[in-house]
Amino acid sequence: MSAFTKKFAAFVERHPTLYKTVLLLENAVKKPALNCQSCGQCVLSYNAFTCPMRCPKQLRNGPCGGTRENGRCEVYPEKDCIWFLINERATKLGREKKLLKFHKPVDRRLQGTSAWINMWAGRIEGMSWSKDLEEKDVQPGGSKRDTKP
Amino acid sequence: MAQLGRLESVLRAAHFAVCGEMGPPQGADKGAILKKCGNFRNVADAVNLTDNQTAIVRMSSVMSSVFAIEGGIEPIMQMTCRDRNRLAQQSDILGAYAAGVRNVLCLSGDYMSFGNHPDAKGVFDLDSVQLIHTVAEMNAGRFLSGDEMKTPPRMFIGGAANPFAPPMELRVMRLAKKIAAGAHFIQTQPVFDFPRFERWLSLIRDQGLDKKVFILAGVMPVRSVKALLHMRDNVPGMTVADEYIKRMEGASDPKEEGVAICVEMMKRLAQTPGTSGVHIMPVMWESITPRLVEEAGLLPRPEPPAETSDAATKEAAA
Repeated sequence: MSAFTKKFAAFVERHPTLYKTVLLLENAVKKPALNCQSCGQCVLSYNAFTCPMRCPKQLRNGPCGGTRENGRCEVYPEKDCIWFLINERATKLGREKKLLKFHKPVDRRLQGTSAWINMWAGRIEGMSWSKDLEEKDVQPGGSKRDTKP
Repeated sequence: MAQLGRLESVLRAAHFAVCGEMGPPQGADKGAILKKCGNFRNVADAVNLTDNQTAIVRMSSVMSSVFAIEGGIEPIMQMTCRDRNRLAQQSDILGAYAAGVRNVLCLSGDYMSFGNHPDAKGVFDLDSVQLIHTVAEMNAGRFLSGDEMKTPPRMFIGGAANPFAPPMELRVMRLAKKIAAGAHFIQTQPVFDFPRFERWLSLIRDQGLDKKVFILAGVMPVRSVKALLHMRDNVPGMTVADEYIKRMEGASDPKEEGVAICVEMMKRLAQTPGTSGVHIMPVMWESITPRLVEEAGLLPRPEPPAETSDAATKEAAA
């Protein structure tokens, strides 16, 4: 994020009422439309704009082995497996490559905070509009890792 | 470099590997583990010790793995993300490695609602891909926080894959992700639908992923048609070909038929390019394992690597 957005984020964070207003606005958009779980570190743009935190196991890196043949969740047979939906939508939008992104562990301190402000502050990776994926997004450990077979 | 585990040595030497699986007891009974070990000694290269599988409380997989070493087998310690947060996971890895455990299988974990404590809180702090990444980081001498450690473990890292749950292309993507995160080997759900397994494996081979990770295909001996039907109808994400259900229904001795089906599958998998070994899951029927491995023509198992003293290892590294 740019120096301007960082300054803006810092300004908002210094003013609790303003912060609450931004959060309210964000929630008004995300909660009804996307069933946002307020993790504060949005990965929507990587997952075909479908929130993986709705998964009962909160899996951010793909589905567990329990997706039913009809695409429903193993825990709640009446609900869709969120990753089944993500895959469908990603195919439709041509954003399949984005699914290969490695999502690092969730920062639990950010629960309930504004992902927008966190993004402007440069605290989280934020949005990525392009359909392509960079090498660094795929390989979490870099070259320092020990060798594979 | 530290002494390689048996499973890793077997795989790296391009032998067709055999893994087993056993569930720890639902009680404080160390003897039960030692007794079960007898079914796998000199028959399997390594054996999974499950971590509260199907969310039913059993002896911890960490301690069971340590007891399994005492019982003369090499454990693959299963670790789920359901019951521990990232601190507990990392500390258990350190303890297990120090006690001689060399393999860890990273799993998300069955949901609490399937087990005997459906009222429990699920942790799911990390997911299985992040757990693989965490262990790989620890192997490289760093905690997940980035802090360095003086004596890192050197775990052989496993992940799971289910070729039978939809959507198949996403299964392949997730496998690629696990490899990128640091997985060395992959174990699959039991194969009762070979055409589907083949389709999945061909997608894996197309991307060259079978060259980057060892794939151990799951097999399961069943004793009755009821067990097969249960798997088809009640285990989400499993498919069973009608062929096997018909065979089990028509068999005069279902147990023998179950063994025959399992041995056939093991032989078929051993001939399938891209498969580096089998993972036998003899749920509640561990005693059949030696016969399965024998009849599949996979005995004797390759010799374990010769023991080297710590001093010799250090010398070799220097």
